[in-house]
Amino acid sequence: MTRAAATPTTAAQSEPATGDGCRGAAVEVRKLSHRYETAGRPLVVLDAISFSIPPGGYVALTGASGAGKSTLVSILGGLEPPQSGQVHVGGNDLHGLGGDELAAYRRSTIGFVFQHFGLLDTLTASENVEMALTLAGIRPRARRARALELLAAVGLADRAAHRPAALSGGERQRVAIARALANRSRLVLADEPTGNLDEGAATRVLDLLEQLPTDRNCTLVVVTHDRAVAERAPVRLHLVEGRLSAP
Amino acid sequence: MTWTDAILFASRGLVRRRSRAVLTLMAVTLAAALLTALMMITETGRSRVLDQLSRGGPLAGIRVDEALGEDEVDRVRRLPDVAAVVPIATTRLLVAADGEVVAAAEAGTDADAPPMAVANAAAEVEGVVGVDLGQADNLPITVLAGRLPGIGSTTEVAVDQRWLERRGVAQGEEANIIGSEVVLGTLREGTGGRSDLFAVRWTRALVVGAVAQETATGAVLAPLPVVLEARAWAATSGETGAGEDLGPEAGDDYEALFVVARGLNQVDEARQQLEDLGLPSEAPENLIASVLRYLHVVELVLASIGVIALVIAALGIANALLAAVRERRREIGVLKAIGARDRDVRRVFLLEAFALGLGGGLAGTALGWAIARGVGAVVNDYLSAQGLVGVTVALPWAVMGGGILGSAVLALIAGTAPALRAARLPAHDAMEEG
Repeated sequence: MTRAAATPTTAAQSEPATGDGCRGAAVEVRKLSHRYETAGRPLVVLDAISFSIPPGGYVALTGASGAGKSTLVSILGGLEPPQSGQVHVGGNDLHGLGGDELAAYRRSTIGFVFQHFGLLDTLTASENVEMALTLAGIRPRARRARALELLAAVGLADRAAHRPAALSGGERQRVAIARALANRSRLVLADEPTGNLDEGAATRVLDLLEQLPTDRNCTLVVVTHDRAVAERAPVRLHLVEGRLSAP
Repeated sequence: MTWTDAILFASRGLVRRRSRAVLTLMAVTLAAALLTALMMITETGRSRVLDQLSRGGPLAGIRVDEALGEDEVDRVRRLPDVAAVVPIATTRLLVAADGEVVAAAEAGTDADAPPMAVANAAAEVEGVVGVDLGQADNLPITVLAGRLPGIGSTTEVAVDQRWLERRGVAQGEEANIIGSEVVLGTLREGTGGRSDLFAVRWTRALVVGAVAQETATGAVLAPLPVVLEARAWAATSGETGAGEDLGPEAGDDYEALFVVARGLNQVDEARQQLEDLGLPSEAPENLIASVLRYLHVVELVLASIGVIALVIAALGIANALLAAVRERRREIGVLKAIGARDRDVRRVFLLEAFALGLGGGLAGTALGWAIARGVGAVVNDYLSAQGLVGVTVALPWAVMGGGILGSAVLALIAGTAPALRAARLPAHDAMEEG
């Protein structure tokens, strides 16, 4: 078991940001284990890992395919509950949360950026950003204004009315980043955010993501198998067969 | 997610996948159209049959062939399952058409014979039925031509088919006798103290209509006062009933009653209540009930065909939505990843199903109405060619409401399983590639 090199912190130490920024969420993981039942035997994907990330921290999570990166992101993002161990994100103990509580946690705390962008193809760029606000119960006028503001912030003000199919890969990912910020997320989880992008678009997306901890005080976790992407992060967690090891 | 937001999102989903949505919608539309058309045609057939049956009398009518006084009639009126009572008075009068009197006068050898004697020779004894024509709607009377006599008139009568047949008036030519006159002769026995003499009072009446009536046996239908006055005049000698049966026994005002029960289902109860009063009765409800039972079976069969079509359409909705759930696993996962609850996802899919059902129900009901009208037009052409009265195809509220709401509800039921499946999809499907 390897303890990640990150500033020791607790959830209660999260500090509120000013202006449009978010309160970065502290991440505290203790002896987290996770396994999947397969035909032959249980497959251990996370094996008693522990680490912590301070509010506003920026961490790269690396590892080979099947090392457990996506599972860890799923658990941190509340997509599935932890099986054993402790996971605290922004003061939330994820171990005891049920379905609706996890949904509320995802709405208020987490912003996802997926490799496949995860945009709803029936909606425009603006409506995709609005959807996150809709689910949070924000009124139409306010959410429309907020969506346009975020799209402007990622340089897509003129693409607000376009559907995802009419956008380039880089533009789609920037819409996804705008959506991830819609509810002033405290922890942004980016799963291979540059995996489907060319070099220029990837650089622009990474630049945008890296502004989050500094400009908006968001905690940022970027999952990547790209060494160059990982090396841009001040802190790197490397998973090997479900365990943290030195990168 | 509010209902409004869910409706907008669901509608976007349907529009985006319009090919599948249109095909599913068409299946529901056709099924609803089939159901609506079949129900409309059945309802029209049922109305038509009941209409034909009711020509023989109101459906809930009961005949009581007993001579009754006013007190007994009042007792019948007070029976719980009786809606209306129409007393029937009959008498037998000498009746001759005006033309027949003229013909008799022309054929007579005695040119000096008085006119009334000539009328006497031309007239025949006929039954005259007197009823309160204000209640004609409750009686088994069908006007073939002209109209019914005025309610209180003593100078208007209608003639029955029996009269027409005896005088050779062909079917369809009943209108020819409207406006002619008849003479009515009331017999009174024992004039001047001699029992072998009769006095006759002659009156004239205008024939205002030709009718088919099963109220009582008689060739002439007259307002009640005509019969009651004739009987009163005949009875002044105090010796009625000799030779001809001129009326009921002393103390009885009417020869029969036509009793209308509160409904078809109350006919049996009303008859039992009459039986309890000692009044035997007869009613055509057994025939009607049998016909209704057969019609009900036809209705059930046709409705079943429509419902089966609707169920198949509902399965189509379920299939389309299940396919959509399979295709949209990652989209559902993404929705959940950005904060959607299970019930938000469920709501979106149920709304899609409801929209398909409601849209299909609306379009199908309209299409079914058009189909039924088309069938009605073809049937009317046929009936017209056969010289029969056509049918009116109507869309009852129950059929319209059932078609639309039934489709929507069935679609909701069909959409429940896919919606539940979608809602239960794990949120981490959002992480899946491809």
